[in-house]
Amino acid sequence: MSSVRPRLKPETPKAVTGWATATGLSVWLTAEGAWTQDASRLGVFTGDEAEARLAAALKQEGVVTDPYFMEVTADGRISGRETLRESMRAEPALSFGGGE
Amino acid sequence: MYRYDQFDARIVRERVAQFRGQVARRLSGELLEDEFKPLRLQNGVYLQLHAYMLRIAIPYGQLSPVQLRRLAEIARDYDRGFGHFTTRQNIQFNWVALKDIPDVLEKLAEVEMHAIQTSGNCIRNTTTDHFAGAAQDEVLDPRAWCEIIRQWSTFHPEFAFLPRKFKIAVTAAEHDRAAIRVHDVGLHIRRKDGQVGFEVHVGGGQGRTPHIAALVNPFVPEAQILDYLEAIMRVYNRYGRRDNKYKARIKILVSELGEAEYIRQVEEEFAAQRPGEKINLPASEVARIHAYFAPPDLAPKPAVSKTLEAAKAADPAFARWTRVNLHPHKVAGFVTVTVSLKPIGAAPGDATGTQMDVVADLAEKYGYGDIRVSHAQNLILPHVALDDLPAVYAALDAAGLGAANESRITDMIVCPGLDYCNLANARSIPVALAVQKVFADPAYEEDIGKLHINVSGCINACGHHHVGHIGILGVDKKGEEFYQILLGGRADEKAALGEIVGPGLKADDVPAAIHRVVEFYRAERASPAEKFIDTLERLGHQRFQEALYAAG
Repeated sequence: MSSVRPRLKPETPKAVTGWATATGLSVWLTAEGAWTQDASRLGVFTGDEAEARLAAALKQEGVVTDPYFMEVTADGRISGRETLRESMRAEPALSFGGGE
Repeated sequence: MYRYDQFDARIVRERVAQFRGQVARRLSGELLEDEFKPLRLQNGVYLQLHAYMLRIAIPYGQLSPVQLRRLAEIARDYDRGFGHFTTRQNIQFNWVALKDIPDVLEKLAEVEMHAIQTSGNCIRNTTTDHFAGAAQDEVLDPRAWCEIIRQWSTFHPEFAFLPRKFKIAVTAAEHDRAAIRVHDVGLHIRRKDGQVGFEVHVGGGQGRTPHIAALVNPFVPEAQILDYLEAIMRVYNRYGRRDNKYKARIKILVSELGEAEYIRQVEEEFAAQRPGEKINLPASEVARIHAYFAPPDLAPKPAVSKTLEAAKAADPAFARWTRVNLHPHKVAGFVTVTVSLKPIGAAPGDATGTQMDVVADLAEKYGYGDIRVSHAQNLILPHVALDDLPAVYAALDAAGLGAANESRITDMIVCPGLDYCNLANARSIPVALAVQKVFADPAYEEDIGKLHINVSGCINACGHHHVGHIGILGVDKKGEEFYQILLGGRADEKAALGEIVGPGLKADDVPAAIHRVVEFYRAERASPAEKFIDTLERLGHQRFQEALYAAG
């Protein structure tokens, strides 16, 4: 839902991420094609495979909302212009709701 | 407070049922996100960085104990145990699952609450002085007029799809605690020759293009105010920019037309309203709404309470709290209590479910069942007897709500920032907490006196950084968070916009820089009674700027 998302070249390693439609929690697509709330398990895709994965995700409206490409390194670490935002999504910095 | 009639109750119930159907269709995939988004926004549901966020309306910031307890229950059962009170005097839940939201809305409807018009390009929650009905300096209780405006603006068919969102604030006190001059419309209730009327300000706002509102009419008689508001809205609806969302707020229209031309158009529109089209609010209807806001039956008491004085003598922390967090009441022997939601180290404006329950209990036992949310993100108990203050403080302190910092430097207005918000460029909460730590000594903070720091995580200015005495604005420079510092803003009757004083600072450098500015103020103030903002205005920005950027 970021207002401007970077356009990534086909060869750039990327992950597919979005929000679980039922809960709104951030999710990432694994290499096996499942959705996970654990960003360390995200799958890394490039080229036509990446496009196919995103196209498939876009057809799962009831499961995932607004899926998009997120730039990562070849070994799956968050990188690129949106590193700060995506790192926050992957690992919230605050201990939310720690009050009780 | 206002109570729903049968029509209100039915409308809200039907709205919940309608949204339940929409959610079911979304979860089944029948409704696409692009189709669903405008529907969820009309019900206060956003999709944020980590989860859905539900924003619930608290009209003019007034809550009953029953309502606050229901919010506490929602926090526990559907969120992560807490809620976040906002500058629009509303509450947000940051972790509610979409599948649960219809149930949440149903629970809210049971206690006469909803999330309607808390988002979208419509007229949002009308805000007001959080001391309304208790403040010594008000000409009348403004809540009745807020309620009248709420009824007029809710589901108003002409103003459901405005060029952009629209915010109205109302005050009836000389000292503006509702920030009316930085609202799309700010109304100041006045009496003139025995008649009640409204001083009307239009075109204020913050965001990327901040403006102080223009005085459009010094006195609109009360019977005509809704017609006058319609004229304001119609000119905006007709000519407000719909081609560019960044230029769509009414402040841009007023600025581009010029104040004189804008006023001419409003007056022309007002004059052109046909007799049958005039609302001409009957006095009987105004009186009927006012009756909902009748003050509690407070029998005046001695102005000095022996119980209170003894407790103050026995407990310095309590004595400090009474010096800082109380506000004079119009009835002798009573005060208004600010319950600070800014304890050191906690996200500003957050309250846990347990804390909400504590405040609800105190309101019921000691506060005549009246609770307010302030635009500074605190809770208020408007009517508390002096004799009861020791018990109130003890309960608050035990719940972690005993901070003595109302309007002090650690009582910051802070937006959720990049910890929650999709629009943010930088985090707000961690930098606010780091600044708080520097001023955590209550004696030091009390010595500094009244000083407002407002923090926003992006140019949209939800943390009101433009009108903080010290404003902090987070920006993203190539993936790194920097913070620009503004000086000289204020949101009261002398409203002014702060000025960015120089290059942005790294997050780690902000607390020390703020500390240097504050120490410069303490060294230069004419007396301890001279507030930070007054010293700044007396000396000018240059020397404060030098202090800010001095080598640490």
